[in-house]
Amino acid sequence: MALNRLLFEFVPTAPRPLPVPVVHYGVVGSGDMEVILEAKDLEGKTAVVVVTPVSGFDHVWKLVLQRFIDESQLANVQISINDNNATPVVVSLRLRQALLEIEG
Amino acid sequence: MSKWQTLQNSSFLESNARQRAHGLVDEGSFTELVGPLERFVSPHLPELGEAVEFDDGVVTGIGLLGKHPAIVISQEGRFIGGAVGEVGGAKMVGALKLAQSIFEDLQKRNPADAAARRPIVLISFETGGVRLHEANAGLLAHAEIMDQLQNLRRKVPVVAVVGSKIGCFGGMGFVAAATDVIVMSEFSRIGLTGPEVIEQEMGRAQFDASDRALVFRTTGGKHKYIMGDCNYLVEDRLAAFRRQVQDIAGMSMEQIEGLRRIGSRQKVEQQMKLVDFALGVAPADSTDMWKAVGNEDPQTLTDASYSQFMAIVKRLNPAV
Repeated sequence: MALNRLLFEFVPTAPRPLPVPVVHYGVVGSGDMEVILEAKDLEGKTAVVVVTPVSGFDHVWKLVLQRFIDESQLANVQISINDNNATPVVVSLRLRQALLEIEG
Repeated sequence: MSKWQTLQNSSFLESNARQRAHGLVDEGSFTELVGPLERFVSPHLPELGEAVEFDDGVVTGIGLLGKHPAIVISQEGRFIGGAVGEVGGAKMVGALKLAQSIFEDLQKRNPADAAARRPIVLISFETGGVRLHEANAGLLAHAEIMDQLQNLRRKVPVVAVVGSKIGCFGGMGFVAAATDVIVMSEFSRIGLTGPEVIEQEMGRAQFDASDRALVFRTTGGKHKYIMGDCNYLVEDRLAAFRRQVQDIAGMSMEQIEGLRRIGSRQKVEQQMKLVDFALGVAPADSTDMWKAVGNEDPQTLTDASYSQFMAIVKRLNPAV
């Protein structure tokens, strides 16, 4: 019953810092999620915490997050996600939108 | 164009709680308090395996409307239907207490200028009331909010801003009714018992919750405006809501007291007269009331655009 707390770590190959100290994006609606990206000294790694009611999809989370890191190359960033049954497509979209939020 | 300017032209209905909070006050003036970065999530939802949100579904903060500090509370309907739990409720109470302390501080420090800088509270409702997962804490929050509204009475105007998709129902319907001024758009709704619950309790023959036209002409902004349950009906744009609350911020406390629908012996007597009037009309549908107050063709009002509606509508005269 309890919420799942999934932890991941990634090591980007061409590391890029987060251009701002912190950004928050999204609403935890049904099938949606929110994310906080925070600059933090993690010795070149990026750490992700996912809090989700969904069980048994850890490997899908890993793949989706890995792709986001490959694209963005974000390093030294703490990513915190509150999920409410978002599909992988929605997760990818929200993470990209969070980055666009910084530029826009 | 800045983000704030883009927001001004966007639909209030389609915006999220944070966008509404930013857009309701002057450009760049909004500071969020106890925001998502503080990570005050509900302690109860994880026990039930329910998703949490970093702001617990309520955006609280402070901005400016001209010289007036504007304390903003904005509920997020997409998170558990905007239902009020322990943390979100405490944030609402805290914001109202902040309004009072700002008011008292200004009185003490600069009494001559205090009226010109009088704070205002804006509550954007999007909720069905108590969050049943944490019912006791949610109910308590409702009571505490009501207490705070009484403390602010005749000092700081409290404005209900209702332009959201879910509207304002349940316990929060009582809270909205207890505010000084209500501003709505035609696409939002106010009520106590929500349509689905009425249908469930009274049967479909009494109230068909799937009939959207029925739901909106019973609980929607146009009906509330005709009956005097809301004070102002505005277009569904953030700019329209902001302009309206800006006007209200500039009003005297006497004017604002006059906009209340309840809260004095005289107001209660007025409401009793309205009940008598309605009993005389014996309406089978809200449109019977529209007709009774002089709107000969209710269908035209239903179909009318905002500006057409405002040009032709006849409202219930509270002195009947």
